[in-house]
Amino acid sequence: MGKIKIIAAREFNERVRKKSFIITTILMPIAFVAIMFVPALMMNISSDEKKEIIVVDQSGLVGGGLHDDGQVTFTTSDKSFDALKEENNEVFGILVIGEDVATNPSNVQLFTYESSTINIESAITEQIRGIIESEKLKEYNIEDLDRILDEIKTPVSLQVKQLNESGEAKDSSAILNIALAYVFGFLIYMFVFLYGNMVMQGVIEEKSNKVMEVMVSSVKPFQLMMGKILGIAAVAITQFMIWVAFIIVVGAVALNLLGGEELMAAAQTGAAMDPAMAMGGVSLDKDTVALINTVSDPGYLLRIFGGFLIYFVGGYLLYAAMFAAVGSAVDNEKDTNNLQLPITIPLILAIFVMMNAMQEPNGPLAVWFSMIPFTSPVVMMVRLPYGLPDGFWWSVVLLYATFLGMVWLAGKIYRVGVFMYGKKPTLGELLKWVRYKS
Amino acid sequence: MDIFLKVENITKQFAGHTALDDVSLEVPRGCVYGLLGPNGAGKTTLIRIINHITAPDKGRVWFNGHPLSPADVVNIGYLPEERGLYKTMKVGEQALYFAQLKGLSKAEATARLKKWFVKFGIEGWWNKKVSELSKGMAQKVQFIVTVLHEPQLLIFDEPFSGFDPINANLLKNEILELRDKGATVIFSTHNMSSVEEVCDHITLINKSKNILSGPLDEVRRAHGGNIFEVDFRGDRGALVGALEGLPCTLLDESLVATEEDGTDKGLKIHINRDEDVRSVVEVINNSVQLRTFREVIPSMNDIFIKAVANHSAK
Repeated sequence: MGKIKIIAAREFNERVRKKSFIITTILMPIAFVAIMFVPALMMNISSDEKKEIIVVDQSGLVGGGLHDDGQVTFTTSDKSFDALKEENNEVFGILVIGEDVATNPSNVQLFTYESSTINIESAITEQIRGIIESEKLKEYNIEDLDRILDEIKTPVSLQVKQLNESGEAKDSSAILNIALAYVFGFLIYMFVFLYGNMVMQGVIEEKSNKVMEVMVSSVKPFQLMMGKILGIAAVAITQFMIWVAFIIVVGAVALNLLGGEELMAAAQTGAAMDPAMAMGGVSLDKDTVALINTVSDPGYLLRIFGGFLIYFVGGYLLYAAMFAAVGSAVDNEKDTNNLQLPITIPLILAIFVMMNAMQEPNGPLAVWFSMIPFTSPVVMMVRLPYGLPDGFWWSVVLLYATFLGMVWLAGKIYRVGVFMYGKKPTLGELLKWVRYKS
Repeated sequence: MDIFLKVENITKQFAGHTALDDVSLEVPRGCVYGLLGPNGAGKTTLIRIINHITAPDKGRVWFNGHPLSPADVVNIGYLPEERGLYKTMKVGEQALYFAQLKGLSKAEATARLKKWFVKFGIEGWWNKKVSELSKGMAQKVQFIVTVLHEPQLLIFDEPFSGFDPINANLLKNEILELRDKGATVIFSTHNMSSVEEVCDHITLINKSKNILSGPLDEVRRAHGGNIFEVDFRGDRGALVGALEGLPCTLLDESLVATEEDGTDKGLKIHINRDEDVRSVVEVINNSVQLRTFREVIPSMNDIFIKAVANHSAK
């Protein structure tokens, strides 16, 4: 054990002192936010550019009612479609509304000069439907129609409270739950890959540097492998803790700027009373109230962060052992590709299952895959925000037990692999090494 | 004889081939023991078994009187043929790391390292990165790391490769000094002249078998084949004539050199049996002026080549 500690300490010190560690610690949160939110931003940016559409209204019913929105501007034209086509205008497209559109609503055509998008198409059909419907309503000659319509408008808003065993109701923010599940699931996936690869590269480096030859006379290959895995685990946990501290500081500062105490007070009273009302000078909608109340629940936070740590460490350990075995078997990184398949396939599968499990966090898919050790670290993240799932501890025990089994297996491969040079072993050969006598 | 390390009937098989086949040898305490053999003969496997890196299929290793156990590894220093250091780590830190893995405390290791660094004149390297060192420089560091924990058994695999003659000599003297202080040294090399210089005992392994073992002097003499070199002044013809009828054969005419004044001076002869030496010397002494008479001891190089060729031919 002493030697494992010395080895782990070296791994930790060497890596934490590297410039690349400091840089990734700073850049990773930025990159992570970018990966998740840039696509959303991009969609917003592209919609800034308005599409100009020329309307040829043969019915005389719709054309005037079309109004510009965020995406499209409409220009009515008296010219015929054929004439407009000849002109070859610099516009997005030409909308042709048929004469009988009121009775034959599918007689609407959009001719575009570039590919159209679902957003634009649904915006156009939505407007045309609205115009025709209100035209039809008018034919019934109902008095005060607009007022009646306004009156019957009912914006329902659901306040979700989750009952716990003692019958206490707690705010449950579905948006927050989904967001956290998404973020933490992805974090585990990324961390396992990132740090697992670090283990693999370290092993390959030691082997190609021939440091291994020197080391094995002082330590057992198993100690070498465990030391490396644990040392890098410490690096990962350190990095994660830095981020948590960073989030707490940023969160505290943000809360202060927003007038934290008033906000909290508003949220607490707001949850008990009518949430839509303005309280203590701060006005909050119910979603925000639910969000703040969820976030300020220590049990919730403990479950999320504690669960994340347990599963991240377990998942990392399990996969790191596999990465180490792969690293020991090859001479350089190029040869790892096919050997890495048993590592990448379950991880990617876990991400797919996670995406689906978000719809139904306690459905059979989520339940089963949160028990299987190779997928549970990622999939369990989806279930944790909704309360401690049944069988949680079984899943944890299973994960760590599988890790022990995997480390034993990987140790056997490692022990043979580190002395194999110039070979490009297949997976089958790797498994054969397990049975070799030491 | 006080045996420090005893290898008893070791057999080791790998998938498809036998690396060691019933190999036995005895390493006396406080000697330099040459472990010789062609590439792929099984030397590295034997060294790994002694280092407890792999276990033999059959046979046993005795270390200092008891069966070899994993705990003995701290009493072994091993310099493998393939040297390796972490390239981005600083020299001092790295040496400390390896020393700690061998069970030294940090303080003890630091003190000893400083001493060695001064001894080798490399005090300035402590904070250098390994990647800044030349191959020879890195080898020096590696040597220090190997001997730092003052092990009872030292195993050097090709220790002089990559060294210039001056540094090779420095290292050779260090190895002999360690031996004189009581360490037992196993020395594996293909450089036969260095074997002659430092080894007390040798074992030659070929095709997984121990084909030749013993003290270096005895091995060389045994392969001498009773060939003697005669250096003399006088008439060569008279000497050849006098030798006729004696149990000896003249060898290798070309080795006969002639002095400028026309007198012959050298001759190589083979004497059939040891007990005949005196009578032959007497005859030579009577016929010419005898300067030197000595047995020609073959070089380790010749013995190596001959022994391996003979064994492989079987």
